[in-house]
Amino acid sequence: MNKKITVIPRHGSSFKDKLYLPAIYDGVKVTFKHLFNNVNDINAVDTLEYPEEQPTDISDRYRGLHRLTHRPDDSIACVACFMCATACPSNCIFIEATEREDGHDEKMPKSFFIDTLECVFCGYCVEACPCDAIRMDTGIFSLTGNSREDFVLNKEQLLANKGAFGEENSCARD
Amino acid sequence: MSLAAILVAVTSFVLGALLALLTIPVLVWMERRIASLIQDRLGPNRTNVFGFRFGGVVQSFADVVKLLLKEEYYPSHIKNGKWLFMLAPVITFAAALLAFMVIPFADTLHIDGEALRVQALPIDFGVFWYLAIGAIGVLGVIFGGWLSHNKYALLGASRAGSMVISYELPLGLSILAFIITYNTVDFNAMVQWQSGTFLAFLPAWGILVQPIASIILIVSLFAETNRNPFTVAEGESEIVAGFMTEHTAMKFAMYFMGEYVAMNTASAVIITVIFGGYQIPWVTTEMMLQNFSVFALVLMISVPIVVGILIKWMRKNNTVRPTVTTDSGRNFETKVLTIALLGMTVLIEVILLYLSFFADSTLANSITVMLFQIIVFVVKLMMFNIFFIIIRWTVPRFRYDQVQHLGWYYLLPLSLLNLFITALVVVGVQ
Repeated sequence: MNKKITVIPRHGSSFKDKLYLPAIYDGVKVTFKHLFNNVNDINAVDTLEYPEEQPTDISDRYRGLHRLTHRPDDSIACVACFMCATACPSNCIFIEATEREDGHDEKMPKSFFIDTLECVFCGYCVEACPCDAIRMDTGIFSLTGNSREDFVLNKEQLLANKGAFGEENSCARD
Repeated sequence: MSLAAILVAVTSFVLGALLALLTIPVLVWMERRIASLIQDRLGPNRTNVFGFRFGGVVQSFADVVKLLLKEEYYPSHIKNGKWLFMLAPVITFAAALLAFMVIPFADTLHIDGEALRVQALPIDFGVFWYLAIGAIGVLGVIFGGWLSHNKYALLGASRAGSMVISYELPLGLSILAFIITYNTVDFNAMVQWQSGTFLAFLPAWGILVQPIASIILIVSLFAETNRNPFTVAEGESEIVAGFMTEHTAMKFAMYFMGEYVAMNTASAVIITVIFGGYQIPWVTTEMMLQNFSVFALVLMISVPIVVGILIKWMRKNNTVRPTVTTDSGRNFETKVLTIALLGMTVLIEVILLYLSFFADSTLANSITVMLFQIIVFVVKLMMFNIFFIIIRWTVPRFRYDQVQHLGWYYLLPLSLLNLFITALVVVGVQ
């Protein structure tokens, strides 16, 4: 039992600690070292000058902007099963289904909207999808627009987004 | 009054006003830049005028324009004392500004037997003026917080009041120790006393002659300027913005600028009283005037070296990162500034050469020495301002009862003891 107890010495009661000034001297030594080194070579500061420099550490597990995948013949992989809309915790996916005429499946989405201002980028829609039709592997981390409507992505925009990692087409539909 | 006297008076007044007011944007920018560099960030470095960034200092001027254009919001719940509510920021600002006016920027100029002070307010009881006017600044804080009719502002004001009773006594007593040592209440005479030597070889700076009083002075002036580690009148995490919670736009800006003017004033007082003011160590004004050609020669050698180091630093650091493709006009800025600096150096060299070998005018020589002393003063002022900023980003804050504890239990007895020993030594020496 005794072996598990670590006694941490209390600081602040010695004369040197009560003087405050040695501690301030030590602190200033640290901050001044940073200041001096950075003034000496400002480009060595480990930051990203953002719009000009883009991040390079986006891995293939990064949840970026959504995209809708294609089948090998370039038609939409989605079958409008509403699984993603049901799983979505922020209710930002709006699907309207229609009958599919090209012989692949019975259903396809007539319209497919994602309100990215509501989206929390949790990735539940990707997990829920049985057809591998929605993915978040575009690597896009910033979306800009001039109005709120610009952030509601429709089916064509989602289909146009390209995957940055892994397969381009859906792995579950052919 | 002769023409020279009027000229010197006007010049020193303009200089004082410029040094107090034009340093505000520079100090605000320096605070932000130094804070970020200490924390390994970059800080504001993009705002520019026609591609000239000057390291980003243009940002402060843009901020001033923004604050001027802000809506002048006036809280409707304040029924009584509206005029004092509006006046309070002005009191703080004006007090800090006026206190700066008694700082000597150079040694007294002797023209045709007239002694002309290079001081915005040419009085010979500067210490009293500083103590009297400097203490008014906190009244603006207390009025502003009290009349806001807001609990946070009231708490901030009462904390400011608690601060006053903790630091004013040690401040006054430590300055009294300096008055006894230097045997004067004139800032300029204090600087002249410090240009001598002490213990045969050390410069007779206040920090070496009176170390305890110097530390107490620095600590109390940190408290008077309301800066870290003594920011108790405002505290983001406890009382929002403290006394200035209800103040908006230019009223807020007045408090904000007043803080920086107060910091500048405190730096000026510290370097004047304990760091030899406008003098460089071991060299008095008389020595420079008597051996003017030697002085000019040393300047002629050292100015190109300093400018060379500056240009080398600028060429290395006024660039974009290697990974960025767009240059953003920084090479052009570097080129223009290099040419300007080189031109200035050549001009200084030519003037010094002319003065030291061809002209033999005492007036021109003393004006050159005066300009040199002003530059030394500004450099020292900026160095101590940087020290203020580094301390702010190094040390955590004191609680306001800890400040009182520090003031009454440590600083007051120490300063009394120091005063007692000083008096004994001074009487013993005499």
